Amino acid sequence: MNSLSYFLSSTKNETVKLKRTFAFWLSVIGAFFIPLIYLLYYLLKYEKLIPKEGENPWDSFMTSQITAASPLLIPMFIILVTSLIVQIEHKSLSVKHLFTLPIPKWSVYFGKLFIVLGLVLFTYVLFALLVFIVGYTVGGVHGELQMWEHTPNVSLFVKLLFRSFISVLGIIGLQFWLSFRFKNFIVPLGIGMVLFITGLIVYQAKESIYYPYAYSMLSLFPLDSKDVNAMVWFPRVALYSIGYFLLFSVLGFLDIRRMNIK
Amino acid sequence: MIQPIIKTENLCFSYSKSKNDISALDLEVPRGSVYGFLGPNGSGKTTTIRLLLGLLRKQKGSISLFGQPFEENRIDNLARVGALIENPSLYGHLNARENLKIAARYRGGVPKNRIEEVLEIVKLSYVKKKKVKAFSLGMKQRLGLAISLLNKPELLILDEPANGLDPKGIIEMRSLIRELNEQHDTTIFISSHLLSEIEKTCSHVGIIREGKMLFQNTVAALKNSQTGKLVVEIETNDTSSASEIAKELQMNPDIADEQSLNVVINRKDEIPGLIDNLRNRQIAVYQVRIKDNLEELFLSLTEN
Repeated sequence: MNSLSYFLSSTKNETVKLKRTFAFWLSVIGAFFIPLIYLLYYLLKYEKLIPKEGENPWDSFMTSQITAASPLLIPMFIILVTSLIVQIEHKSLSVKHLFTLPIPKWSVYFGKLFIVLGLVLFTYVLFALLVFIVGYTVGGVHGELQMWEHTPNVSLFVKLLFRSFISVLGIIGLQFWLSFRFKNFIVPLGIGMVLFITGLIVYQAKESIYYPYAYSMLSLFPLDSKDVNAMVWFPRVALYSIGYFLLFSVLGFLDIRRMNIK
Repeated sequence: MIQPIIKTENLCFSYSKSKNDISALDLEVPRGSVYGFLGPNGSGKTTTIRLLLGLLRKQKGSISLFGQPFEENRIDNLARVGALIENPSLYGHLNARENLKIAARYRGGVPKNRIEEVLEIVKLSYVKKKKVKAFSLGMKQRLGLAISLLNKPELLILDEPANGLDPKGIIEMRSLIRELNEQHDTTIFISSHLLSEIEKTCSHVGIIREGKMLFQNTVAALKNSQTGKLVVEIETNDTSSASEIAKELQMNPDIADEQSLNVVINRKDEIPGLIDNLRNRQIAVYQVRIKDNLEELFLSLTEN
């Protein structure tokens, strides 16, 4: 077998293992959470939400959902879902089996990491779809909201979501390593929560650009200006996040490869 | 001499600095053998197996499988091995077939019908669609065994395979081991803390205590290594008179408890004579049993 087929069979297996797991359902529930709240919000309080003359109702509808989700919910979701996915192996005592199969250890580690990324991306895509569905639904129920008269600014929305996704990569790299390292679910969860809460405290400081757990907050705002239109696909935070992701993934693998499996 | 399929030299490992868990272990498993790896709980059997499979990193010594150093040939070597280490690794939220499919896909090159075949071998076909978390310990053990058979391994490593099996399961496991060894030429390495289990299935035996190899040879050699004297336990209604009679016959008696007496004899055919003597003096004989002296040997080897 060559490297690619090792990797492909590993990712395929990871997908099968997600079947009927809480990790999978959490990623679905995670995507539904905010759009469902907004569905109720716009259905019940639509009078306050009727747009002014010349205003596109989609702008506030979409960006407020992202700003509601990104700083708090997404990092917590990442910490939880990463631990849960790796927990599938620990719970079934499978690490010892995987590492005695005639396959390279990297294919196990990176195959699984790839699936974590895939599942998080799946949540983002599902979230985006649900935002549009909810938008058109509330517009259909309450015509005054003028959802159907305006077209959503899709590129801004996708850009914001994309930046949010890239900004959590650094956390995924570290959380994945921790989850693999410690059999006990509480350890990566606890460390993750402490690091994240620290991020909440320090994100307004200039130095927080070096702290990956603050990135989901930082990704929404350009550091120097509040001008949303000035936003690029890859702000500095995104590049740092990718850097941290690569660093933690490689360090994590080197550590796991040498680890004694008890 | 045939090249050993597993060979370790001066193998050392410790979990902590204060204590050596495996020290200077020289293991040699001949090709085609059924090798029983015997030792009390906590003697280092599982640790040794984990070292053999590369799960733990050895601190000293060398390991070679199939005549090749393990580390340099990890993937090639593992492709020829099937292993069941301690509790089987199974995904509880998936069914038996899905678990096998996953293992087969990782290995690659496992024909599709092999999954049904191994399910048949371990007699789990009837529950192949049941979620594994609803399995009993014995069923899990069988499924773990099925997974280790997927690639038709040349070397099968089983760690306490009888764990959780019912008596019927144990007998089936024994005959499966015999069949794999005799018909498919599989070398089998079994760890166990039960001497009787090893004695029934194995051709070779290694006895380990506190991480050190105490004895390693064929089972026949282990049996021959003894003095040749037999200990017979006799249950009677009058142990003291029975003891007197045994003394007269120069049979070194030793009263074990109120009902039974241990007598040392040289050969089995001394037993009828002894019983005749007891019966002639109207002593009731309820039971005569040759004590499993291997068990005693094992205990004497593994106890200080």
